[in-house]
Amino acid sequence: MYLLCKWMTKMRSNRLKIVFMLCLAFVTTGGQHFESKVAQLLQDETEHIKCFVEGKDLTCFWEEEEERNHIHDQYTFTYSYEKKNKMACAVSSLYLLASNKTILFCKLPKTPFFTTLDVQVLRDGRMLYTRSLNAENVLFLDPPRNLTVMSSGKEGQLNVSWLPPLLKYMDDSMIYEVRYAVDGSNMGKVEVIKVSTRLVLLGLQSNTRYKVWVRVKPDGVAYKGYWSAWTEPVFGVTPPSDVDPLIVLLVIFIGLILCLLSLTVILSHHKFLLKKLWPDIPTPEHKFPGLFTVYKGDFKEWMSHNNGSMWGRSVPVYTEELPSPLEVLSEVSLTSHGTSQREERKPVEEDEEKESERSDSGLTDRWRDPPHAHWLMEQLRALQENPESRSQSSLLQSHDTYVTLNQGDNEQQVDDVFEETLPLQTLFTTAGTSSLGTSHSDLGSLQQSSGSGRLSSQSSFEYPNHTWPPKGPGYAYMAVADSGVSMDYSPMSSSRIAELGKHRMYTNDYKNEIFPHKWPLSGQYIKSG
Amino acid sequence: MGWLSSVFCVNPLTRKGLFALLLMVLEWTRPGLSSPLRPICDLRVLDHFIKEAWDAEAALRACKDACSIATNFTVPLTRVDFDVWEAMNIEEQAQEVQSGIHVLNEAISSLQASNQTDVLQSHIDASINNIASIRQVLRSLSIPEYVPPTSDGEDKEMQKVSSISELFQVHINFLRGKVRLLLANAPVCHQGVS
Repeated sequence: MYLLCKWMTKMRSNRLKIVFMLCLAFVTTGGQHFESKVAQLLQDETEHIKCFVEGKDLTCFWEEEEERNHIHDQYTFTYSYEKKNKMACAVSSLYLLASNKTILFCKLPKTPFFTTLDVQVLRDGRMLYTRSLNAENVLFLDPPRNLTVMSSGKEGQLNVSWLPPLLKYMDDSMIYEVRYAVDGSNMGKVEVIKVSTRLVLLGLQSNTRYKVWVRVKPDGVAYKGYWSAWTEPVFGVTPPSDVDPLIVLLVIFIGLILCLLSLTVILSHHKFLLKKLWPDIPTPEHKFPGLFTVYKGDFKEWMSHNNGSMWGRSVPVYTEELPSPLEVLSEVSLTSHGTSQREERKPVEEDEEKESERSDSGLTDRWRDPPHAHWLMEQLRALQENPESRSQSSLLQSHDTYVTLNQGDNEQQVDDVFEETLPLQTLFTTAGTSSLGTSHSDLGSLQQSSGSGRLSSQSSFEYPNHTWPPKGPGYAYMAVADSGVSMDYSPMSSSRIAELGKHRMYTNDYKNEIFPHKWPLSGQYIKSG
Repeated sequence: MGWLSSVFCVNPLTRKGLFALLLMVLEWTRPGLSSPLRPICDLRVLDHFIKEAWDAEAALRACKDACSIATNFTVPLTRVDFDVWEAMNIEEQAQEVQSGIHVLNEAISSLQASNQTDVLQSHIDASINNIASIRQVLRSLSIPEYVPPTSDGEDKEMQKVSSISELFQVHINFLRGKVRLLLANAPVCHQGVS
């Protein structure tokens, strides 16, 4: 085409001039693509002879060596198909402004496809370069046409469409590459798409101006080639993100409802929540009336003013009087008690009413030693005046009770209880004081505990802090009403349990086996056991 | 299915083998005056065979010395001049394609008898299967079959090659060129388009 145009410039007629102008226009337009293709291949292609097919024409070119002059007179270009006759092609030169290089090229019109083409470049008759290629493998397409970028209406999306380059038979063998970037930014993304000439760009920023380019290449199955040049960039703006006002309203409404609900819950359970979050610090104030309010925490003063309290008096009683009876009890032998109790129980019921104590079997010997009755009465009075001691004694009794239950005769338990209570009543009536009677229940319980203590010689050791005048076994038992320090019955009872191998609840089963036995031995003293 | 695949040396475990087997079964099971096969107009089917032919050609391009044999192969011409091709009518194009496929099939089948490496054997088998499949595709497009008459002299449309690599080059070029152009312009596929 270039040579034709050169020839046509020599014509002088107007018509020919017009044709020449058209030809020139065609060449320049074709030349633009041509030059750009040449320039691109000059960089990318590694072969000496660089060939490409544009349309249906094959162009092969090579780079001129710089020191040479009168280039195209010396070079010869020959080609042959399927190793048949060699043909020559006219060599032309082209100066590339951009790269400041001169290339020599040759165009082969109507190149056959799907067959082997052998080309050679000769310089001064000597082989310079040679290459064997297939024309359908070096397609260099023009860029896609009519690129358009439009907003799809959806957030972050753009619709891109274009037309393929004008080529027959190859529409379904093309692969496209779409490049897009934010206007002004150099960071672009690339999407590859086959055959189709439409693409929807996703994941874009809202309300942003984007630049889009497209290029094309044969897909490499039926035809092969090079990437075309990028199209001129086309701009598109993504739609702004819109928040549906209905959604905003709904969100606000639901938020309000949730707030109201939570407020209602908090208000209805505020006490509970307050307790959980800010619990009250417990104070013993209710147990000590006036201690903090009137006496401002001065416990001594509070104590001194608190006459009705039993705490002040009960303590010295317990600490002073109770321990020794247990020691006394330990001296009592175990063997004789058991039998003697049973024998004497029945006949001496009446006589033994005065006795109010029950003791362990270990105290049998003690019972044979009569305690002093006067001292005994004094102790009874003391117990009467100190209800706490009674309570303590009852606790101790219960301990003893536990002990006897392990051994004792179950069938006699009930009887023993009643038997125990009777002598105590008798004892107190002889004393003639009603105050003693009030302690009847205590003593009765004491009796019960003593009766249960057949094997509880060990129980005596649990009251080490009882100070008891060593007047005999009977007194020792009185001191059972102690301060309650020895409240841990568990060692004793547990040891008994372990010994006997029984597990029983020793709660209310009072058993007084010793009691009936006591009466005949010492009519007016309380046996301690 | 198992004996079918063994008779026709088709490996049903591969995609192409399965496809070939499917086509063979379809051909067998169709009745005498049956409805024609559904036309396979999608060129991606042929592109699949072309891709496999590329693999074979690439494998054999590397194998030159070990894969050369003494005898020559008669193979079709692959050259396509677009002007000339467009000037031909569909029947002429079909005839050229069918005869070329026939000749190619014979040439590649002759390789099966000879003792070749495993790699080469697999490519040979694949190519034969693909040619059979292409025949089915052409039949689906109502393109008539044509067997060239055996001629003493050299056929115009034929050429000779002397190596296996050249044979497979001809194979790939023939598929990409004439066969594909024929399928792309099959009248059956363009009936709905004015």
